[in-house]
Parts: sequence; structure tokens; C-alpha cells
Amino acid sequence: MAQEAHGAIYDLLAVRGVSRRDFMKYCGYVAATLGLSEAAAPQIAAAVEKGAKLKPALWLNGGSCTGCTESMAQVDTPDVATIVLELLSLNYFETIMAAAGKQAEKNIADTIAAGNYLLIYEGAVMMGEDGNTLLVNGHKGKDILEEAAAGAQAILAVGACAVDGGWIYAHPNPAGGIGVQSFLDSVKVATPVVNLPCCPTSPEWVVAMVVQWLLVAGDDPAVFLEKTALLEKKYHDTYRDADVSLLYPEYIVGSTIHDNCPRRGHFENGEFVTEFGSEEEAKGYCLYKVGCKGPQTYTQCPVTRWNRSVSWCVNSGAPCIGCGGLNWVDNNAPFFKRLSSMQMGGSLGNVQPGSVGAVVGGVAAAALVAHGLGMKATGRIGDGPPMEEMKAYDRKRMAKGGDK
Amino acid sequence: MARTVIDPVTRIEGHLRVEVEVKDGKVVDAWSSGTLYRGMETVLLDRSPEDAFYVTQRICGVCPISHSHASAQATENALGITIPEGGRLVRNLLEAAQFLHSHILWFYQLAALDYVSPINALNADIADTYALAQAAGTRVADFGAVANRLKAFAENGQMSIFSNHYWDHPGYALPPELDLIATTHYLEALEVQAVANEIVAIIAGKFSHPMTSVPGGTAFVPTADKLDDILFRFLKVKEFVDTALIPDTLAIAPFILDATTYGGGCGNFISWGVFEKSDLVPENRYMPRGFAQGLKAEGISPDDVTEDVKHSWYSSGTGLNPSKSETQVKYEEYSTEGKYSYGKAVRAKGLPAESGPLSRMIVTYLAEAAGTDVTGGAADVRTPKMLIDSTLEALGVAGKPEVLVSLLGRVAARNLEAAYVADLALVWVNELVAALAGGEAKFWQAAEKDTGAGVGAWEAPRGSVAHWIDIKSGKIAHYGIVAPTTWDIAPRDDNDVPGPMEQALIGAPIADPERPLEALRIAHSFDP
Repeated sequence: MAQEAHGAIYDLLAVRGVSRRDFMKYCGYVAATLGLSEAAAPQIAAAVEKGAKLKPALWLNGGSCTGCTESMAQVDTPDVATIVLELLSLNYFETIMAAAGKQAEKNIADTIAAGNYLLIYEGAVMMGEDGNTLLVNGHKGKDILEEAAAGAQAILAVGACAVDGGWIYAHPNPAGGIGVQSFLDSVKVATPVVNLPCCPTSPEWVVAMVVQWLLVAGDDPAVFLEKTALLEKKYHDTYRDADVSLLYPEYIVGSTIHDNCPRRGHFENGEFVTEFGSEEEAKGYCLYKVGCKGPQTYTQCPVTRWNRSVSWCVNSGAPCIGCGGLNWVDNNAPFFKRLSSMQMGGSLGNVQPGSVGAVVGGVAAAALVAHGLGMKATGRIGDGPPMEEMKAYDRKRMAKGGDK
Repeated sequence: MARTVIDPVTRIEGHLRVEVEVKDGKVVDAWSSGTLYRGMETVLLDRSPEDAFYVTQRICGVCPISHSHASAQATENALGITIPEGGRLVRNLLEAAQFLHSHILWFYQLAALDYVSPINALNADIADTYALAQAAGTRVADFGAVANRLKAFAENGQMSIFSNHYWDHPGYALPPELDLIATTHYLEALEVQAVANEIVAIIAGKFSHPMTSVPGGTAFVPTADKLDDILFRFLKVKEFVDTALIPDTLAIAPFILDATTYGGGCGNFISWGVFEKSDLVPENRYMPRGFAQGLKAEGISPDDVTEDVKHSWYSSGTGLNPSKSETQVKYEEYSTEGKYSYGKAVRAKGLPAESGPLSRMIVTYLAEAAGTDVTGGAADVRTPKMLIDSTLEALGVAGKPEVLVSLLGRVAARNLEAAYVADLALVWVNELVAALAGGEAKFWQAAEKDTGAGVGAWEAPRGSVAHWIDIKSGKIAHYGIVAPTTWDIAPRDDNDVPGPMEQALIGAPIADPERPLEALRIAHSFDP
């Protein structure tokens, strides 16, 4: 195929010595990440080859720890250099951009003025002290977001803090951190927001959404929303006292960690780690009894894994702490102990099943009910104290309306 | 007099503002300001100690491991837990992987663009680039392919992360061939720092935000296979440190030798100590706990720390030790005369103190000079004193360690530390292999009580981190944190004495106040 027939991205890949074969392999990977069949690879390849200029994008940091940026730096599908040199024109990205100060700020203004850009937002929107808990050159962080969001074609809210405020939102939320969607509701900006969970978020998910946008949706917000399988979750933002509806990619939050966990077999067999650093851990037993929140956490971490798929939390011997869930600190701490709440995915939003708080060896077994596994009935959970209908703590909370 | 403001200071973790007053081409006054408040210490109250382990690492997505270790140590100190030998070695390896990741990322991705111009690299002659790389003893790669890639990028006209920067500033003085070498290594470093973080992922599930160094030791149980995976990656990272990071530092240094004449700062250096030996004594760590004034060694204790808030956006008590700290936030208009930062003015023995690799290397250097074998007899390890002495010699200033107290010294110290840590990591992998073979390795120890107060004082790649905890019946009654950057970007204290970064900025030349490259270099040298 003649070189001229290809678009800029393919030309640039060719310049790097990327062969046709490698290129198709890459497209196959992208297809898999998007939850499409490998058969979609030729379609994706065709879309890439039509590509023109790099897509302008802004990456803004709100109340963040830069962990999601760090997470992005670990990606190799494609690698970071390819993303910033050959896929996105990241005109503003505080952690890696060359410019600083007023030269950096001008990049935001120029990008907004030119239009047709994507906005990626990391961190919570800081509302405390009248919005002064985050300042950038004298501007409130929330005001910068409002302006950039209003002009964007679409927004990716990356990581737990951007989704709903993350740990900053945890009680008593002294700094006033909230999520991007909730904030945009309050200022009536209707730009579509797609939420990517976890603390930090997974770089593969970010890349998948960018590729989805560029290649499958053809740079069109309406097509993007139509062609991306999205799932809605609702929660009550206690800081604003308002109901918020979030959109997530279904592929990422459609099943629980427990569903896909490679240690699931040990759970079924009643083989558990009961003490950290033990022989049972060396054997890779289930971490349920040391507090694993896998059964109530809806992300596909066990599939994507982390750091170029080298490992993930449970694989290293640590129980899932549920960072992919809503209000994850309040809903999941104490992390090594009981389950204080259950999150149900889908349009049901975040609800409490009546049986929350059943206890096994000091660890709750609420998820069993949700999954209809009947583990206690079959006796496979074994050696814990008898299950309770509900813990005192939950009774108190439920009386107040449960976790909002 | 003209004020020059850099806000945002980019290529850092978090949100930082730097303001300088420039007179006759020199900084005569300076202010550094942290512009984000998140309220972590308040969020932690009434939660369990292990929750603090998971939440506090979210202070910083670049050094989460060090915060998690400080938090775990605080709880262990409070509840009288002694971590087992296996736990010690696993934590050392995890911390080492993060140090290597962080230092490599800092030099190439965060700091290098203050010295290296990828735009000027387009002017490089490829044959000359190979010749220069060989002469400098630095890593050779396919420089032609990288040049083509840069050319295609530049011709496309969209500058992405390189947009709107003052590449024509006279401070960009490297020959184009060296710019091309450094830009090539910039791209390679992205790959290598990710390999270092694969070690983190193997031990702790993922980076950022590790999962396993829980209070009591570690939840990670190594196997022979996993140690193979770890060792192979440490060797790969060490090779990059030796063949790129160190020689590149030495190749660039001659072009910025004036950076040995400014940027030094307060001259007080703190290190809580990092990388535990079997005795778990902070003063005996591979990088020991200590304090230095005027390159003279002293002792230091967490009890010596106070935090002033006269110039910080808090209405609560001032001059308090973090074990009793209060964080009642109260924003008022930014004023360099009044309050101008969410950072508190943390002080050691009442003095501003720099923390970070330069501090650790100086404290360790002084311990070695006094006759301490900081490696505990480990073979094949380049110690801080060996690394510093040979570098001073290479730069023609042999026997003058005081040259380190400068902008260039701070840059070099970080990269030399990476070499020491890369060597040590191999020692610990071998110790762990031996411990596993002996079959006696233990990794975690349960607590036997649920009440007590303690402190975990440790080092992150960027500086000194300490967490103070008070646990009552298994719940957190008080939590105080002094993060690395809190030391370095501290504002003025109650006596109006400027903080370390502020003092480092004062006296620095500024060629063009509209394009304050020199101030940016100094800010970045702290890796804030």
C-alpha cells in the first residue's frame, strides 16, 4: 500500500519503524481493550489510517496527588511518547509540559479559543474556602475547570477523585472536594463526562477511551455516546446535597473484581488467607477473610491488571480496598475488617442490600447474598462466628438512610 | 522593583507558586507557596491505623510508597510491633524501586527540559552525535531514528507538551548533539522508569499507590520466581543508571558550571534516614538519620520539629510539634507580607532545613568521613562518599564538598544517590534469596495492643517524611504529617525567616524576568 494513502498517525508510526504487522497487532490490542472482538482490528486500522492531525487535549489537575498522571506514565499500549508525540497534542499537562507560569497558562487559553478539544481532568474539584482550596495563578481551580469544560467536546474524569471527590470527599471532607460531574451539574455545563474509576485510574482505560473517541466515534461527541457502551450509576453528593448521575464505560465497571478474580477458585473451595505474609498467601489463597472488597467492587482490574499487566493488588497479597467504588474510603474502611456497605452496579446506583454485615471471621460476607452463592448454606465458609442479620453499625446507618 | 511570578510551576507533583523580586538581574527576595489544601489529617480521625496506611499514601502519587512506609512505621512504633526480617527486606526493595523510578523520572522528564532543548536537537549531526556519546561514555541508541521522529513531530506543527516554551532562552546552551543524546534518553527513561515500577507492581500490586507494606511488615510473600522477576528488572534499571543517568549528568555539567555558584539555600540539612538494617535503628540505616549545619554533623529527633503558621492559611496553633498539630484551615487573600501558602513553615531545632537527596548524601557523606561503614560491610557497593569524591574530581573540584551546596550540587546528588540505591537493591535481593532458602523468613507480625502514640520518620525520594499517630482503642485520635515538600517549600516562619527554596532562590541570576528559567531550575532541583 502506498505510503501516501495513509494518514498522519500511520505515517508517524512508519517513521518510527513500526511495521504493518506491528501496527495491526497494536490495533488488535486496542480492539481488545475496548472490549471489541479482534475482528474489529482492520476497522480500527482503517480509521487510524484516515487520521489527520493530532487531537488537541488539555489535561488539568484539580485536587490531585498526580497519581493518575504517574499511572499514565506506566502505559505501553501505546507508550507515553507515542501518545504525546503522535496521538494527542497535549497542549496543557502540568506534570510533563515544558512551559511553566504564564507561558503554560496561555496554552489553555489558546486551546479553548481554537475549540474541538478533549478535556481530561485528574483530581477532585475543590469547593472549600469558597473555592480557594485550590489556586492556580490566583484563579480558583473550579473556575478553570468550568471554563475548560464548557468549551470541550467531551470530558474524561480520570480516577476516584475526579469521579466523586475520592478520598478527599471522605467524611468530614474539610477541603470540600467533589467530583467533576457533580460540579458541572452545579454550574449547568452539559458537556458529556465519562468517568474512569480507581485510585489511580488505569492508563489502559484512558487510552481505550481516547482511541474510542478518535477511531470509533470519528471525533464526534454524539457518535461517541451512541457507540460506547455506557453504564449509569447514581449517588447522592452530600457536600452539595444533590443527586448525581455518572456515566462509566460498561466494559470497565460491568462486573465485580470477585467475578474475574484468579483466586476465585480458592474462595469456592473455602481456602483463605487469614494472616498477612503467611503460608496461605504463598499458595495464593483467597483474601476474603482479611477484608477483600472484590465482591462489591465493580471494575475489571483482574483483567487489565496494572503496570503493563505485571500484577495487581490481589496478586501481590493485598485485599482489594474497593478504590473503584463510589465514596470509596467511607464505604470500604476499615479496609481489613467488615464490609460496611455494598455497591450494586448498573442503573440501580449505590444501594444497600438488607443483609449487609454478615460476618465471617471478623469479615463481612455481604457479597455472598448479592451473588446468590449460598456459601454459608453449603458450609464452605467454615470457621467463622455465626452470621448476623445486620451489624449494629449498619443498623444505625440504615436508620439514617444508609450511605448516600 | 519587578515581581516575577511562576504559577503554575509545572513538571512537579502538586500545585506550587514561586514569586521572586528581581533587581539588577538578581533575585533579591523570594516566596514559595503551596496552593492546594486537601485536609487529610482531619479525614483520618476516628479511622483505623491501617486505613491511614492506605489513605496517607494518596498525599503524593509520585512518592506513595514512602508515605505508606512512614505511616506503617508510625503505627508499629505506637503499638510496639517489630517487623520481621523478611518484611524489612521486602520494604527496602519496594522503597528502592520507587527511588530509582522517581530519580530517573525526575532527571529526564521533570528537570532536563530546563537544560535540554528537543527543538535544538533537530540541528544535530548524527555522526557527531555518535562520536560525542562515545566520548562522554554515555549510552548509544539509534539517534537517527529519534531525529527522524522529532522531525516528523516538528513538521506536523503541533507542539503538544513542548508548546509555547522559551526554547530560544540563552540558558539552552548545549550543543545540538548533546540535546539529541539527552532527548533520546528522555524517551528511553520513560521506558526504564516504568520497568522500575513493574518491581513496585510485583511487590505491591500497582504503582501508583502500593498495597502491601501494611503495619506489621508486608502482605507480599516472595517466591523464587517472583525474586527472579524482581532481580532481572533491578539489573535493567541499574544498567540505565550507569550508562545514561550518571554519564549524562557529567556530560551536561560542564555547560552549566555557573550553577555551582548559586541556588544553595539555607545550608541546613535534615535526613530521617532510609533503608533499614536488621537492627532497625534509624541512625544506622544505609542512609542514616542525621542533621547538618555548615557541613557539620549533628543528631536529630522527631521531637525537634515545629510548625509555624504566621504566613500560612491556618487559624490554629503555631509553633507546635506535629504530635500535637492542629489544621484549622482559613483562607484569606494571598499576600507575601501576610499569609501566602497552605504549606506550614516546618522547622528543625527552630531552623529551616532542606530535605532530599542532597541532604541525605551530605549526612551520609559526613558519617562516612567520620569512619562509619554505612553499607554494613556489603561488597560491590559504591557509597555516597565514593560517588561524591569521584564526581568532584571529574568536575575539577576535588576535595571541595562545599561545592555541593548549590543548584548543580542538588541536581548531581540526586543522580549519584540513584547509583548507590541501585547497588544496594542487588544486595537486598541476594539477602532475601538467602533468607527464603533458609526457610525461616517471616514477613508480618500482628500487634498485641490497640493503644499508643508513635512516629514513623523515613525518607521519600524527594525528602524527609514523618507521620505522627496517636491510637486509642484501635482508632486514630490524632494524626500529623510532615511531607518532604513541606520542608523544602516552607514559607517564612513566625520570625519571618524564609524557607529553604526561598533562600535558594535569593541571590540567583535572572537573565530575563519575563522568562525566569533560572528560578524554574532552582524550583525543580528540589523535586517539589
